[in-house]
Amino acid sequence: MNNVIRMCRGFVICLNRQSVKSVQREFHSTDPRFDQPPKVDVVSVDSFNNVKDKNKKTYLDMLRVYQMEKYRSGHVEFINTAIKHMDEFGVNEDLETYKRLIQVLPAGKFVPQNYIQSEFMHYPKHQQCIIDLLQKMEDNGVIPDWEVEDMLVKRFGTRGFPVRRYWRMMYWMPKFNNLSPWPIPKPAPNDPYELALLAIKRISSIDIESEIKVYKTKQLEESIEDTWIVSGQSPDQKNLVANHPENVPIYIEGGFRIWLRKQSIIYFILRTEPSPAIQNEEEDEDDVSNFRVPFFDQPNRKTSNKIAKNKTVHEQEDGTILAVAATGTSSKNSLLSWIRFLEKDGNPRLSHIPILFTSKSPLGNVEPLSELDESKKEVEQSKQKVPIE
Amino acid sequence: MQHIKTFTLVLLRNRWKDPFGVCPALTDWTRRRSVHTSSTTFEFHEYDKRSGYDTGFEIADTRIERIRLGLKQLKKEIKLWKKEMQETLISDPILDYRAGEIDVFWRFYEESSLDHWIVTSDSDHAEGFSKCDLQISHQGYGLFHGNLCSRVPKDGRIQNSGYCNMMTKRVLKSFQRDSFLDWSPYTHLNLRLRGDGRSYLINIHVSGQFDIMWNDVFTFVLYTRGGPYWQTTRIPFSKFFFASKGRIQDKQAPMPLYRITNFGITVSDKADGPFQLEIDYIGAEFDPTHHEETAYEMYEVQQNYIIGT
Repeated sequence: MNNVIRMCRGFVICLNRQSVKSVQREFHSTDPRFDQPPKVDVVSVDSFNNVKDKNKKTYLDMLRVYQMEKYRSGHVEFINTAIKHMDEFGVNEDLETYKRLIQVLPAGKFVPQNYIQSEFMHYPKHQQCIIDLLQKMEDNGVIPDWEVEDMLVKRFGTRGFPVRRYWRMMYWMPKFNNLSPWPIPKPAPNDPYELALLAIKRISSIDIESEIKVYKTKQLEESIEDTWIVSGQSPDQKNLVANHPENVPIYIEGGFRIWLRKQSIIYFILRTEPSPAIQNEEEDEDDVSNFRVPFFDQPNRKTSNKIAKNKTVHEQEDGTILAVAATGTSSKNSLLSWIRFLEKDGNPRLSHIPILFTSKSPLGNVEPLSELDESKKEVEQSKQKVPIE
Repeated sequence: MQHIKTFTLVLLRNRWKDPFGVCPALTDWTRRRSVHTSSTTFEFHEYDKRSGYDTGFEIADTRIERIRLGLKQLKKEIKLWKKEMQETLISDPILDYRAGEIDVFWRFYEESSLDHWIVTSDSDHAEGFSKCDLQISHQGYGLFHGNLCSRVPKDGRIQNSGYCNMMTKRVLKSFQRDSFLDWSPYTHLNLRLRGDGRSYLINIHVSGQFDIMWNDVFTFVLYTRGGPYWQTTRIPFSKFFFASKGRIQDKQAPMPLYRITNFGITVSDKADGPFQLEIDYIGAEFDPTHHEETAYEMYEVQQNYIIGT
C-alpha cells in the first residue's frame, strides 16, 4: 500500500511540473525518441582494474572498502561490476567469495511485506543481480551450502526469486556433481605432471590390470632432455608385444588430446596394425543338399574354426594399442626414451621390432609435434586475452 | 473479426511460410502504434518455430520459381508416398524386442548417411567463434570435430557463447508431413563412441504442437573417457531430464518415447580448444529388468528443494 501511495504522489508531481522529463517517463517507445541521459556507475570500472595483485585477498578487500562507506548506495551496480571481475581475481570457484558478495546487500531491507509484492518481484534489480550471481555459481560448478539459503531468505524473504532459484540449484547440482565415471579432483591441479598422471590413469581405466609408471629421463644415459614420462601398460599389452612378429612395424602416434575438465593434455600411443579378425564361416542351416547323418557317416576330421582366443580390449578393429604415455616436453627425444624405458621394463622384444614415428593416425586428428612448443602456445594465449571494458 | 483473422494467419504461419507477405504488417503491433504506454513484450505467443534464426533454406525468390521447384518436389513426394503405401500393405513390424539386442538408428557408412544430420555452431549465427564439422573418418565412423571457443562477440547483446551441435533432421512423411520416431519399445539409449574426455550433451527433442512445446528437449550428459579406446555408453531413457530453451523445468515427466522428433549431440563445456567425437553407431535397446519411468520426483517437494511443482 505504501508503495502505491508513493507512486500516486510521484504521478501528481509529474503532472504539476509539466516538464519534458515527465513525458519521457510516461511513454515507452520502440523508437529512440528522447536522448537518454548517460548512466553513471557508482563504482567505476577502474576500481577493480586498478588493483595491482589480483587475488582473493584483494578482492575481499574491495568488498570491505565498499561496505565501509557510510551511505552505501548502488549495490546492484557494485555487485554486477564485481561479478565481471571474478575470473580475473581467480575467485570464480570460491564459495566464500560468493557469500561475501551476497552480504553486500543489507539484510531485511528488500523483504516483501505482502503477496503482491512478493509475486511481482519486489526490488527487481536487486533480485535479478543476485540471480545472475547464482547463475555464475552454477556456470562455475560451485554448489552453495545451506548458509547461502539463510542469507538469501534474510534479504528476499522465503518467496524471493533468488531463493527459488537457489532451491532449484540445490536439487539439480548435487545430482550431477559426482556423476562422472572418471572423476577429476576439484579444484583440478594446474601442474602438467599431475594432469598427465590423471589423464593416463583415465585412459588406462579400460583395463584394470594396467600399471601407471613414471620414468625420469635423467636415469637414462643416452637421453638429452631432463623430463618426466608417465606411461601406462597392462600385462595383456606386454604379452601382445612379446608375441609381436618382428617384420611388422610398431608406430608411435600422436599427439592426441585428452580433456580433463578445462585443461587438456597431449598423449601418445604405441600402436600396431590390427590383428586379423576371427574368421567365422557361415553355415547355412537350411541347406539340405549336403546332409550329414552323424550315425552313419565318417566323423568329420576338419578342426573346428568356432574356437578362437578371445581378443583383449587393446585389440580394436582400427589397431592394437600397446602402450600409452604423456611426456613433459612432448618431444621426439622424450618419446624415444619412453621406448627405451619400456624395453627395460618387461618388453625386451621392442628392440627387435622396427618402430616408426607417424604424423597421421587412423584414430583421429593428430596434432603435430611442432605445435606443442610451449612458448608458441603462450603467445597465442596472450593474443586471445581480451581486457574487460 | 480483425482479431480472429490475424489469429488464424498466425496459426498458419507456424506451419507454412506466409505466401503473400501480409503477416508482418498485420501482426507486428508495434509498427501500427509506435507510441504506447507500456514497454513492449512478446510473451503472449511465438511466431516462429526457429525463434528468428534464419536457416538459409529459402532458395526461391519469385513465385514462379517457387512453383517450379514445388512441382519438382511433387515427383519425389509421390514416389515416397508410393513407398509408404507399399510398406503399410506389406506391414512387417518388429514382433519381438529381445533383451540385449541393439537396434541401430544411425551409422556413418557412406556419404549419404551425413544427409540425416545438421551441424551448427554459434558462429553460424554470428553469435560466437566456434567452428565444427561432421565427417566420415577413414575408418568409416562419424567424426564430429571442431574448435570450441567461448569468447563472446562484443555486440552488447550476447552474454554467453561457445557451442557446437549436431542434430538429425526432422523426420517427415511424404508431402512434407511431420512424422515421429517411435522408440517406445526401448528402455536404453546405446552408443558406441570414442571421445576426447569432454562431457557432451545428448538432446532428444520432442517438439509438440503449440509454441510452448516447440523447444521441449530431454537431455542427459554423455561422459567420454578420452584416449584411443572405444566406449559403449548405455543410458536409460528414464534418466533424461526435461528442459526447454536451455533451462531445466521444475515439472519433470517421463519421456514421450513414441513422439521423438530429433536427436542431437552438443558440446558446450566452456573448455576452449579442439574437440573430437567419433561415433560408431547410435541405437537403442530393450532391457526387461528396467522399470523406471523417470528418475526425478513427480510430486511436489515441500522443503529445501523445488521440483515437481
